[in-house]
Amino acid sequence: MQQIASQNAPSANIVIPHFAFGSLAWLTATLFIALSPDAFTTHYFNPKLLAITHLLVLGWISMIIFGALYQLIPVILDAKLFSEKLAIFSFFTLAAGVTLLCFSFWNFMLGGTLHLSATLIISAILGFTFNIFKTAKISKNISIERDFILTSTLWLLFTVLSGFVFALNLKYAFLKPEHLKLLRIHAHTGLAGWFLQLIIGVGSRLLPMFMVAHNLNKKKLQIAYYCINVGLLLSISAFFLNTIIDMIIVAILLITGVFYFVYYLKDAYTKRVKKNFDTGMKQSVLSFASLLLACIISLLLLFYTHESHSPRLAIAYGSLIIIGFISSLILGQTFKTLPFIIWLKVYKKLIGKIKMPLPKELYSEKLLTIQLYLFFAGFFFLLLGIILSHHIVITIAGTLLFISALLYTINTFKIILHKPHSYEKTK
Amino acid sequence: MRKLNNEEQNIFELLRGVIDPELMVNIIDLGLVYDIRHKPADEKIEIEITLTSPGCPMGDVIMEDAKQLIENHFRNFKVEILLVWEPAWNKEMLSEAGKKALGSI
Repeated sequence: MQQIASQNAPSANIVIPHFAFGSLAWLTATLFIALSPDAFTTHYFNPKLLAITHLLVLGWISMIIFGALYQLIPVILDAKLFSEKLAIFSFFTLAAGVTLLCFSFWNFMLGGTLHLSATLIISAILGFTFNIFKTAKISKNISIERDFILTSTLWLLFTVLSGFVFALNLKYAFLKPEHLKLLRIHAHTGLAGWFLQLIIGVGSRLLPMFMVAHNLNKKKLQIAYYCINVGLLLSISAFFLNTIIDMIIVAILLITGVFYFVYYLKDAYTKRVKKNFDTGMKQSVLSFASLLLACIISLLLLFYTHESHSPRLAIAYGSLIIIGFISSLILGQTFKTLPFIIWLKVYKKLIGKIKMPLPKELYSEKLLTIQLYLFFAGFFFLLLGIILSHHIVITIAGTLLFISALLYTINTFKIILHKPHSYEKTK
Repeated sequence: MRKLNNEEQNIFELLRGVIDPELMVNIIDLGLVYDIRHKPADEKIEIEITLTSPGCPMGDVIMEDAKQLIENHFRNFKVEILLVWEPAWNKEMLSEAGKKALGSI
């Protein structure tokens, strides 16, 4: 008999710290946005924006992804996580590394602390990659989702290693290509190689499951896989060759990959049995609008170069992907995963013995709805502030995002700290 | 599903108390229960259940909930929940009430 996913689930104590740290990192990052609007109105290579970006991509997004992936591995790979101890090691090294990294960037300290933080982060990622690959080796499940997840962890490793080299280069300047070109490789392998592919790998399994959609054509995912990876490999050579034709081919390949993933989800959406969407799913659907807008801006950036407009467009492009797409997706999906993780932890042994709440009763739906509206209002103002290069608009955006993040954090901790409140016999 | 006898029909109705925590619809209206066998001679009840997806993270919760519920009502019986994947679940297995709850009609 085929095993079911929950029989392979790891201890919730592995997953919970990731959500706790991640939500606090998101809260801190939004506070930094509100307090430092200047980070978004100057050239994107500035200390504060580097600190905010790395807090978002490593402290918030990657941290939540690590935690969620440890829980979702049994669902996707049909195997138990290889090592929970290694997962704990990765958590502590990543948490320490990100904190130190953001402190170093914020104060533009390019020496020992930056190198120590990079070493901690690389150790965390090496541990994570090893854990995921060993788990995949145990798994007999060969699927395109598995390929996406494994390939994305390799791109993550590449991204952090290249980041370390660039950190050294900031101090010792030993690399020939100019620094901003290297930064673009680092950013794109991280965004498209790690985040996008991981989201495709996990999302193509989870989103149809939440929508109860069956009989989907996985060929679309295979096309997306090859387009994105060929595009990324080509992007590395393209940045060195620096020809516009190469860059256009890369952009077309990456956008085609995104298109086929969205096409796959549209198929799931059309065939879905569950027509009613909850707030978490609504936010997830809306996040894809940001991804599509980011694709359009990426093409604009290729053909339209202007001394003053291009850096602003580049910041808007990065914000659309990191905040509008990935953060938004996580903000919605947290309430599709974390309540179930905690519910299983608290109630699994009490099934049939006490009156149990439903997983969705572990958090406040009202707070989630307000969080959603504040997020979209804040994000709209952020884009407007970046385009207009206006400090007050960005401060308003940061404040709205901060209040939204505060509600998210309150709801997240409400779930994490949930205790069974009733021991009445019901059945 | 084959025609159920009176006891099996009672079990069928009791199983409406088992809710899929993600979809928030009971497993009867979801069409997840394929067969119920009440065997008084063996003091045994067998229930064939499927899931909407093999990856369903709440699968064993649903099965345990069903087991506990029926055991509490048939205290002298051994209840066995059999997870089956054939035939694969599809939306045609939903009852009218299930379709309505999911917004399909």
